[in-house]
Amino acid sequence: MSTESPIVATVAELYATPIRTQARQQKPTFRIRPTKGWAPLNVLELWKYRDLLWILVERDTKLLYKQTALGVAWVVMQPLIAAVIFAVIFGRVARLPSDGAPYLLFVFCGLTVWTYFSQALQHAGNSLIRNAQLVSKVYFPKLLLPLAQTIRGLVDFTVTLVVLLVLMAIYRVPPTFRLAVLPVFLFFMTLTATGVALWFSALSVKYRDCTHALQYFIQIWMYASPVVYPISMIPERWRPLFALNPAVGFIEGFRWAVLGHSVLNPSLVCITIVMSLVVLFSGAFFFRRAERGFADII
Amino acid sequence: MSDVAIAVKNLSKSFKIAHQRDAGYRTLRDDLMGLPQRMLARWKRNGQLTSETFWALKDVSFEVKKGEVVGIIGRNGTGKSTLLKILSRITEPTSGGADIYGRVGALLEVGTGFHPELTGRENIFMNGAILGMKRVEIQQKFAEIVAFAGIDKFLDTPVKRYSSGMYVRLAFAVAAHLDPEILFVDEVLAVGDTEFQKKCLGKMHDVSQAGRTVIFISHSMEAISRLCPRAIWLHEGQLIVDGPSDAVIAQYSGASALSAIQT
Repeated sequence: MSTESPIVATVAELYATPIRTQARQQKPTFRIRPTKGWAPLNVLELWKYRDLLWILVERDTKLLYKQTALGVAWVVMQPLIAAVIFAVIFGRVARLPSDGAPYLLFVFCGLTVWTYFSQALQHAGNSLIRNAQLVSKVYFPKLLLPLAQTIRGLVDFTVTLVVLLVLMAIYRVPPTFRLAVLPVFLFFMTLTATGVALWFSALSVKYRDCTHALQYFIQIWMYASPVVYPISMIPERWRPLFALNPAVGFIEGFRWAVLGHSVLNPSLVCITIVMSLVVLFSGAFFFRRAERGFADII
Repeated sequence: MSDVAIAVKNLSKSFKIAHQRDAGYRTLRDDLMGLPQRMLARWKRNGQLTSETFWALKDVSFEVKKGEVVGIIGRNGTGKSTLLKILSRITEPTSGGADIYGRVGALLEVGTGFHPELTGRENIFMNGAILGMKRVEIQQKFAEIVAFAGIDKFLDTPVKRYSSGMYVRLAFAVAAHLDPEILFVDEVLAVGDTEFQKKCLGKMHDVSQAGRTVIFISHSMEAISRLCPRAIWLHEGQLIVDGPSDAVIAQYSGASALSAIQT
């Protein structure tokens, strides 16, 4: 047998055939290049994939209700039980003020918002990891995964809201015209939740312990927000600093709109709006920058 | 003359394989603790954290014209799937680039997006949407998809109760109705019985007859020679041969046989 392998000769032959190139007349549908640094938000693409967003929201809603034995009841029980516990500890024992409203109602208001917030964050925080198979095998804007969770949480929020209205009827608190402004606070609540969710979900892909850190972060954040106490408890000069926490604005605002008792400082609301937008945009840009490495690390 | 559908130039992809830390996920705690160490190493400029660079793809270049069906063959781990992942924009190249002309549909794994708790019907919508179809499109093709998969009796049962054959048929049925201009298929014929494989090949043949561009990775030389007039042989991340599939397959089989004898 000859020392030179017959295969090498034929390979060389085939390789010598030039690959014909053609002049490109049209623009490519997309160019694939290595990217560095900040990536554009590409909102247009999110809009193109809106069907997928709704399907993800539907899917996760169905799954959540299929998997829990209690289903909708669980959504109602969680904040209610927490509210009762807080009402006993903070309302009766510690006697925290509640801006003139019955304490249980006061704290349930805060919890309606807070339950949405913490649930949305927790589900969104590990949404990328839970859908690792999708992330590594299909192309789609990954931002839809945490976004689907913050939107899905609004479904549970609506259920809790109904319970709140029932409580209001029980305590005979009349609804005021302030309720018309409610959607504004809800909107900024969703924006903040989405922003923080984007930060955490992106970080969780690289650092798995972030999902655990998130739980503690949420707990601490709750006590740093006026859920169980009103903002009137904070001394005047500290309030602007306190309001840097975007949760302050929409929790107080929500209570203001629903209960009709307290006074709302417009400058605080402005700070909240600005902070919500900062959190959202910083989260979105960070996510987009980290996104390119997801499929490799996850 | 037909236009170009895919133009790949010097595409390379590398991964860093770290050898220092134990296998496992990175934690924020570890990274923060290790920060002073790394900064000191960088400052001293002699710090060499042992990390090996593994080139999954190295300088791959080729062009595919519209309507061509190209097979990609090679041993396991030679970068075929990585190539398709890059062309599907799932992951980014390290250097080089590619230009794609047309809508892409990628079937890199069967049943992407399937959730065992959801019914067949719900999973069709989920899978279709994740592959890029609009809801309206899925609704229009729903009957066809169900007919192709042959599961109309089981549409409302959770997918976890399906047999593996039904599962795979359903997954392929959704992807087969994608109707993209460029289709990437990665070894999905590895699962499924002969009848299923025949159905899949038939559908892919129809797709290619309709003028779509197809890139097909497979270990089945029979499938490649039947479906693809052209084939590319990738070995250790590099493009070895690109030419008429029968010749390339012959070289590949010859080389495999030779290496089997030599070891």
